[in-house]
Amino acid sequence: MINNRHYRRIKRSFQVAIAAALFSFVATIHAADSVPQVTLDVAKAGPRAVESLTARSVVRDYKLAWMNLSHALESNSTVPLSGLFDGTAKAWLSSAVDDQQRTGLTRRYLNQSHRLEAVFYAPEGDVMELHDTAEYDLQISDGSKTIHNEHATVHYVVLMTPGADRWVVRQLQAVPNF
Amino acid sequence: MRPPSSVIAGNSISIGTTGSAAATFYLIGPASSIKRSVDLGKDIPIVANNIQSAGNYVAIVCASSCTSSEFFVSAAQPSSLTLLVHPSRAPVAQKDVISAVALNFDEFHNLAMTPAGVDFHLSAQGVPPISRAVESKGGISWFRMSSGKSAGPLQVVASIDGVSTRRVVEEVASDPCNLRIKGQRTAKSISVETDPIRDCAGNPVPDGTVVTFTARDGDQVSTVDAPVKKDVARAEIDAKGPVTISAASGVVMGNELRMSGQ
Repeated sequence: MINNRHYRRIKRSFQVAIAAALFSFVATIHAADSVPQVTLDVAKAGPRAVESLTARSVVRDYKLAWMNLSHALESNSTVPLSGLFDGTAKAWLSSAVDDQQRTGLTRRYLNQSHRLEAVFYAPEGDVMELHDTAEYDLQISDGSKTIHNEHATVHYVVLMTPGADRWVVRQLQAVPNF
Repeated sequence: MRPPSSVIAGNSISIGTTGSAAATFYLIGPASSIKRSVDLGKDIPIVANNIQSAGNYVAIVCASSCTSSEFFVSAAQPSSLTLLVHPSRAPVAQKDVISAVALNFDEFHNLAMTPAGVDFHLSAQGVPPISRAVESKGGISWFRMSSGKSAGPLQVVASIDGVSTRRVVEEVASDPCNLRIKGQRTAKSISVETDPIRDCAGNPVPDGTVVTFTARDGDQVSTVDAPVKKDVARAEIDAKGPVTISAASGVVMGNELRMSGQ
């Protein structure tokens, strides 16, 4: 009797441990999928030089912006678009989310990496143009059915402007090449 | 599927298909998602307002299986300019103090990245206008210039293909160049005032520019801040004994005025 109870306790502990390990493993995979890798080269930026603190802020906010973009288009919610998108970029993404809600489509951007290059930084520091060579796995689904899956390399021209405490994406426009 | 090789934003297109089955067509763009039933073998028309946003589009057709094709939509001709001019008030005779940045957009708010000549036209009262042609790169053109010698509004106009945007920079006097004071005793105090204060180019400094008057009576020092009003700053200084009065504004010091006691 005691042995049987002891055995059940060990079995339950083992199951909990397995579940925790599995959850941790899945969470790690999801985090690896959803956290974009972003690098920034400011060597060619001008006429104003990009200070290192500014460069760090741009990388931080661009990374967050893509996480939010990805979340918005995967969950079909415009809520994640608040804060790091403004102007045309926000309008386009909101429109894309609205259309997806209507058609039942979703998009997933997995395994993202972004090579950013600052190509213009205004003399007064109020606008920055960047080139982003983005690589990601794009998955488009209609309901639960995946209708498109590809590893894409896309070139984006990005306009960012400084806000009170962050850099905001105002234009995110894909081009065939730079 | 055969999408067009090049597409300009806001133009309708049709995508050719092969086959004969009924299918579902999807078009995924930067600002839109379309889903509709189509018959393979017929062209799929896409109306202009579904491809107004520049960027990459993924066209997908699903029958028994899904196939996809991609194409890019480019910005149309520039139809508006966003013009950023700094500062809004610039002191005269300062080197490279004014900057202007123009961004070209088409009617659908796409950044128009094709190189295009942007004309910057600068005009101020009493001086010949200046024009400068700058070719945009990546949708952006910019220039920097020194401020003029006279105070007053400077109009900055950027134009491209008949579209123009205007901004105004108020050129204001620089720091005072010379500061001269004069004074006289009254029954209770000493009344001091400056001569009309001007910058080195002869422009009167703006009202509100602060002049600090300092009176020294042995070891005692008292100061009075007075704003310039109609080119002149005035102050009343309480002192009965002999005092030395000086004035300063910014980094400029004025003459010293020695007043004897009452």
